[in-house]
Amino acid sequence: MNAHKPRVIGALLLEIGALLMGSGANTNRVRLTIGRIAKSYGFKVDFLITHRAIMLTLNDKNQHFFSEIKQTYASVPNFKMVSGISKLSWRIVEEKPPLDTVWNEIERLKGLSPYPRIIVLSTVALACSSFCRLAGGNFTEMLMVFVASFCGLFVKQELSKKKVNPYFSVFLASFITTMLCGGVGFWYPYEHDNMTFVTSILYLIPGIPLINSMSDILDGNSLNGMMRAVNGLVISFAIASGLLIAILIFNVA
Amino acid sequence: MDWISFFENWIWFGCAATGFAILFNVPKRTLIAIFFMGALGGSVKLLIVHWNNSVVLGTLLGAAIIGFLSIYAAHFRHSPPFVFAIPAVIPMVPGSYAYNTMKGIIRLTNNTGTADFVALLNETVTKGLLTLFVLMAIAVGVVAPMLLTRRDSAKEIKVPLPHFKQEKTAKEK
Repeated sequence: MNAHKPRVIGALLLEIGALLMGSGANTNRVRLTIGRIAKSYGFKVDFLITHRAIMLTLNDKNQHFFSEIKQTYASVPNFKMVSGISKLSWRIVEEKPPLDTVWNEIERLKGLSPYPRIIVLSTVALACSSFCRLAGGNFTEMLMVFVASFCGLFVKQELSKKKVNPYFSVFLASFITTMLCGGVGFWYPYEHDNMTFVTSILYLIPGIPLINSMSDILDGNSLNGMMRAVNGLVISFAIASGLLIAILIFNVA
Repeated sequence: MDWISFFENWIWFGCAATGFAILFNVPKRTLIAIFFMGALGGSVKLLIVHWNNSVVLGTLLGAAIIGFLSIYAAHFRHSPPFVFAIPAVIPMVPGSYAYNTMKGIIRLTNNTGTADFVALLNETVTKGLLTLFVLMAIAVGVVAPMLLTRRDSAKEIKVPLPHFKQEKTAKEK
């Protein structure tokens, strides 16, 4: 394999790191992937990963080095990207494909279409009504939860398209969802009021930040773990405030 | 225990896991595995809660089973293990405890009598600690296989694969 310039490999590593960090991988995975690829191209790499940016220095055998900072991409959970990059990194280690192929693959992964919107909305709403059923709700309540979380998620997606502050859009989605549930319960009271309130907003729970924060802390990346935990807590707080306003309005015990 | 409702819950756990999997945009080939892992982990949790009445222990075991299965699934479906594990454990996240904690905290701000306050504080702190411990149990359960095998990547963990797969990997090497 012909030797590559540190600049070229550095740009590739930063792109991969930024993509992984934005798609919801934990810090250890980003660290391992960058290290694995750099090693396969014969560079020594040192880097600092934070929530917002990745700082990286590459050294080769001839005392050339390259240093750059790159902002990570906006945090949107995208496991297709994580899975694709994991496969790509092993391909780089095992086959050493030319750099053009690697960049083409990254572009292909970036362009992968997400699931159709109606499918996302309805399966997530179905997930929330499953929670309602698991908590002991009946089928009327399940239907109500389905409609409420469908509308709530729709509002949240619209708000994030308009680049509204993510915490505020979570707050608004939570408020609208619980208002729908409570509003219907106001006219046609059902058996378990609390249950519809609690389960209809479960699509908002910050599962990835909370689980990643714990796994980061266990891996020793305490600082990133704390950042993710704070992020998860603020999202939880936004959910709770939207919920509580609706509770105060409908005065559910 | 009512077996029909147990089986029904099994399906609902699976649906919940799949819903979150689609929200997180997982590759299509992993969806079926996530459904079954979510269903299995959830029902293990229900069984242990039924048997022992300890939510934290049940969640820990359920999440650990999901964690170990995710290593197998990663080898069969060629994705990192956490792509399977995170959507599958989401149904175990303690939503109702977190809700009750928040509601308790808001109620504590009201000016109540001492007796009421102590009872409410007791309940709120219990629910809050349960939320925290269940979350920790989920995280520990998911990373358990990595901690126990002391490997950096799931690819280095040897799992017994069917015969034809072994041949294929041998050829690649």
